[in-house]
Amino acid sequence: MNSLFGADRMALLVSWELGPSVARLFEVEAKRDGAKYIEAEHMLLALAGDRDGGAAKAMMESGLDHDRLEKALQDERRRTLAFAGMSAPSTDLVKATELESPLSFGTSAKSALRRGLIATRGARRGRRARIRDTELLVGILQAELGTVPRALAIAGIDRAALISRIGEFE
Amino acid sequence: MPSSPSPLDGPADGLAAASALRAIADRLEDAEVERAMRAGWSWSQVAEALGVTRQAVHKKHLRRLLLAQIELRRRVGE
Repeated sequence: MNSLFGADRMALLVSWELGPSVARLFEVEAKRDGAKYIEAEHMLLALAGDRDGGAAKAMMESGLDHDRLEKALQDERRRTLAFAGMSAPSTDLVKATELESPLSFGTSAKSALRRGLIATRGARRGRRARIRDTELLVGILQAELGTVPRALAIAGIDRAALISRIGEFE
Repeated sequence: MPSSPSPLDGPADGLAAASALRAIADRLEDAEVERAMRAGWSWSQVAEALGVTRQAVHKKHLRRLLLAQIELRRRVGE
């Protein structure tokens, strides 16, 4: 199991099955956020930004586009840091030289991919079944705790309702 | 199986804050180690200021500092 879900294998699966443009967007979003790893929120932003995809269309149906998602994530960060009596530091203050690509997947991204692959296998039993963006979206939205569910709760997005609507956009 | 707690209430805020602060501390360390080395600090000085061993700083930051093409001071004659 470990080798199947290793970071390299994950990267390969994503680049094969979602297409290089979406996989590249994961990294673009992570770097824009100044993150060292690709996390679930970066994948969600990438899916929202891929407007032709079924995932973006399903999100739009719930009123969630890239801008609203980005604002929700900013609100989440503000609330989170306020708990510790802090505000977000200036990006200039915390800017180090970027390591070369590709970034690795963080834990939340790996968990989302794992759940998305389970959805893929459940839907299509072929051994070489490819994950769809809508299935990855399900994997991301199934997280009950962490940055993504916090941001969506703050934005007033009903995750369960969104998940149930995704099938219409596959 | 117990139902999942709310992602926003109770310990969820505190745990999210701990995670966010760790990420900020990590990025701040990267940026400030780089700044110190650009300013000519030695590995030992950086390590002492951070309260960790010289080896720990070296292991964590060498790759990025080389990538940033920072001239690093040698250990001898630091």
